[in-house]
Amino acid sequence: MVLSDLYLWLSYTHLPTRKINKILERMSPLQLWEAFDDESKYFLDDKTFNLLKRTRNIEYIERAKFYLKENNISYVTRADPIYPVALEQKEVDPPPVLYYKGDLSILLEPCFAVVGTRRASQYGRYVTQKIVEELSSSFTIVSGMATGIDGYAHRAALNVGGKTVAVLGSGLFNASPASNLLLFDEICQQGLVLSEYTPDTHATEYTFPQRNRIISGLCRGVLVVEAAKKSGSLITSNFANEQGRDVFAVPGDVDKLRSYGTNDLIKHGATPVTCADDILEFYSVNAKKSQPKTVALDFSEQRVMEALSLGEKSFDALVEHCGMTVPELNTALSALLIYGLVREKAKNLYTVTL
Amino acid sequence: MLAKVNSYALNGLNGYGVTVEVDIHMGVPSFEVVGLPDTAVKESRERVRSAIKNSGYDFSPRKITVNLAPAYAKKEGPIFDLAIALGLLISTEQAGVDDKKTPNSSVRDYVFLGELSLSGAVTRINGVMPMLIAAREHGVKKIVIPKANINEAKYIRGIDIFAVETLRDAVALIDGETRTPIETCDVVLDSRPCGGEDLKYVKGQFAAKRALEIAAAGGHNILMIGAPGGGKTMLAKCLPGILPDLTEDEALETTKIHSVAGLLDEESGIVSTRPFRSPHHTTSRVALTGGSSAAKPGEISYAHNGVLFLDELPEYPRSVLEILRQPLEDGVVSVSRASRSVEYPANFMLVASMNPCPCGYYGSATHQCTCMPSQIQKYMARISGPLLDRIDLHINVDEVNYDDLTKETDTESSAAVKARVNAARAIQTARYAGTDVHSNAKMTSEMIKKFCVLDAGGEKILQAAFDKLGMSARAYTRILKVARTIADLDGKYNISAAHVAEAVMYRSLDKAVK
Repeated sequence: MVLSDLYLWLSYTHLPTRKINKILERMSPLQLWEAFDDESKYFLDDKTFNLLKRTRNIEYIERAKFYLKENNISYVTRADPIYPVALEQKEVDPPPVLYYKGDLSILLEPCFAVVGTRRASQYGRYVTQKIVEELSSSFTIVSGMATGIDGYAHRAALNVGGKTVAVLGSGLFNASPASNLLLFDEICQQGLVLSEYTPDTHATEYTFPQRNRIISGLCRGVLVVEAAKKSGSLITSNFANEQGRDVFAVPGDVDKLRSYGTNDLIKHGATPVTCADDILEFYSVNAKKSQPKTVALDFSEQRVMEALSLGEKSFDALVEHCGMTVPELNTALSALLIYGLVREKAKNLYTVTL
Repeated sequence: MLAKVNSYALNGLNGYGVTVEVDIHMGVPSFEVVGLPDTAVKESRERVRSAIKNSGYDFSPRKITVNLAPAYAKKEGPIFDLAIALGLLISTEQAGVDDKKTPNSSVRDYVFLGELSLSGAVTRINGVMPMLIAAREHGVKKIVIPKANINEAKYIRGIDIFAVETLRDAVALIDGETRTPIETCDVVLDSRPCGGEDLKYVKGQFAAKRALEIAAAGGHNILMIGAPGGGKTMLAKCLPGILPDLTEDEALETTKIHSVAGLLDEESGIVSTRPFRSPHHTTSRVALTGGSSAAKPGEISYAHNGVLFLDELPEYPRSVLEILRQPLEDGVVSVSRASRSVEYPANFMLVASMNPCPCGYYGSATHQCTCMPSQIQKYMARISGPLLDRIDLHINVDEVNYDDLTKETDTESSAAVKARVNAARAIQTARYAGTDVHSNAKMTSEMIKKFCVLDAGGEKILQAAFDKLGMSARAYTRILKVARTIADLDGKYNISAAHVAEAVMYRSLDKAVK
C-alpha cells in the first residue's frame, strides 16, 4: 500500500477529521491498516471500528481513485509534498485528503481570507470589492463561496484577474448555494476550489463551521467585513486566533446589526481595516499601485465634486446645494458615476469614491 | 302582419346592422325572442310589454315571434328594446300607419337604439358612439338614440341623429312628425390639468419628478422603486396633470372604448383628458385584457392613449403581468372567445411602482434591510426580464427626510411641467407625421437608426457607461429613446453627450443587477 492511498482510505471512512487525527497520534496509517484486527480494536469505539473495517479494502480504494479520476477531481493527501504546509499545523486539524478542482499551486503564494455575513449590505459589498481588488495583486484571496461577502470577495478577485480559493463546506459535487454555481465554474477555471469532504458529501450544519478552520488555516490573516452578533465568520476569526493567524475587521456603524460582530472583534484586539493599505502595511508588502486616472472635469462636475467632498448628499440636497437644475445635475452626476469618481452609496445617496 | 325595424349591435368596437322582425300569428298567446339573444335581450319581453301598456297602447294576448337577424351572431344588452316595441306596434297596426290603416314605409329609413323602462321612457345605453360611427360608415342616414346619450352623440357628423325620450316620441317620429336632428358640435378638449395631485405639493424628489416629466413627454413606460412611504403613489397620481393634451383623434378612439364599457361621463360625453387607470393587484387576467364570453374590453384598453398604473407591481400574479407583454409591444390586444374574436386598441403608458425587497428598505439610507439576498432575488424575479425589457425608465424613489417635508420651497407646478411636455410632444408629432407612431417610446428600430444619431461625445459616454456600470445590451435602445426625449425637451435637434449622460441615470435596475 502507498501512503497516499492509506490517507484516501481514512478520508473515505467519513470519520470526523478530529477523530482520525486522534488515532494517527497513536499509530501511523500503515500500522493502522496492517495491525488493524489485532491491536487497534482495543482503543477504538465500535462505530469507528466498523467504519474503518468496512472500508478497509484495496478494491474499494481503487474504485474510489478511479471514480475521482473519471470525474476530473484531483486530490492531495498528507503524504504528498504539495499538501499545503500551512494546514500541517496541529491546531488546524489537517484533513487527510483535500479534494480540489483548479490550480493547487496558487496556495504557495501568500493567502488572505476575506469573509463576512451572507446578508451583506451595500456598504459591505462596496468595501469588499474595494479592498479585495487592491489586495489581490499581492495575495491569493480565500473565502467560502457563500452568498454575500464571500461571493463578492471571489467575484472581485476574479474581476481584476487575481487568484482566489473557495473552500467548500460540502463535497465538490454538491456545491451550494445554487446562485453561486456560475462563480464555482469560474473559480475552477481561474482559481482553486477545494474541500476536505469526499465529492458526494452533502453539506450539513456541522460541515460549514468545520471548513472555516481550513479557510483561516490556509491564510496569514483573516478579514471580517461584516458580521452580526452570531455569525459564521466569527467562527472563522476564532479559528484564526487559535491557529495564530492575524484577525482584521472592518469597522461599521455602532447601531447596525451587521457591524456588531466586526466592532466586537476590534474591541477584543482585531486590527481595524479601512483600506487595503492597512493590510498591506501590516505585512510590509508593497502594493502594486495603479496610476490614478486623471479626468478633466467641467464646471458643473467640479461643483458636484466640491459639494460631495463635504460629505455624502442625497440628490435633493445636491440640487439645493449646487443650485443647478435637475437635468444639469443629472448629467454631471451621471458622468461622475461613469468616471468612477462618485458612487451611489444607497438609493439616491451619493458620495465621493475613496 | 310582419314588421321589420332596423337596429344596430356591436362586435367589439365594430357595429353591424340588426334587423328586428316581429310577426304575429294565431295560436296560444306567447312572446318569443329568437336569434341568439342573451339574458338581457330575453328579459326585454317584460320591459316591452310594460312599456307598451304604460304608454297607452294595446297589448292584448297574441302569439308573438321576434327574430333578431342575422341569427348567427349573439346579441347582448337591452339596446333592442325600442326596436322590438316599435315592431310590435307596427305589426299590430298601432304605429307606422296612416288614418286608413295603410302602412307607411318611413320606419325603414331609421335605425333605432334604446332601452325601455317599464314606464315607456327610453333610457341610456352603452356603446352609442362606436355604433354611430359604424352606422355612418355603412351609409345609414337617420338614427334614433335615447336622449340621455345625446352628449356623446353630438360629436358625430354626417348622420342625422334624433333623440327620443319616450316610446311615444319614437312612434310620433315614424308616424311622420317632422323633427330636427340634434345639433352637432366640435370636439372640445379640456386643456386644464385634470384631477389628481399637483407636482408643486410633492416635496423634494427632484430626480423622480424629472423622470416623470421625461416619461410623460416621450410616452415612456416607467418603474418607480423605493421604500414604503417614499411617495411613489403620490408621484404617480401627479402624472395625469402633466400628460400632454389629447389630440382629437385620440380622444374619439378612447371615447369609443369607454362608451362600450359604459364608463363615459354623462355630462361631457367624451374623454377629454388622458385616462388614468389603476387596477388593484387582485385584478384578474380577463379584467386586465378584456374577455368574458362577450369579449368586453379590459383595463389596458380603458387606458388607451393614457396611463395604466400598477401599484406594487410584484404583488400582481405573474400570469397577469405576462399578458401585458404583447399589448405593450403592439398597442392592441386581440380578445378571442368561442363566439367572437375582437381586437381592442391598447396603446397605453405603463407606470409601475414596487419596493426593492420584501421588507422594502434594501438600499435605503435610513433603514436597515432585513432580507436575505435570496429573498430579494426572489422578489425581483417576480417581474420577468421580458417585461422589464419593455420599461424604459427605472428610478429610485427614496423617503424624504423631515427637513425637506417642512421646508417651504417653491417648486414647479404641474402646469409649468405640462407646458414643456406639450412642446416636446409637438416636436415628436411633427417628426412622426404620417406614421402610426405618436411618441418616442414607440419608435421602430428603423426610426431609432434615423433619429437617434449620437455625436462622438455621446458615443463615448455610452460606451463608458456600458463598461463601467455593467449595463445590459437591452439597455442600449432604451437609453437612446430616452435620450431622444430629453433632447426634445431641451428643444435640440441633435442628441448631445449631456442628454445621453442623463438618460443613463434612469437605468437604476441595469446598474444594480450585475
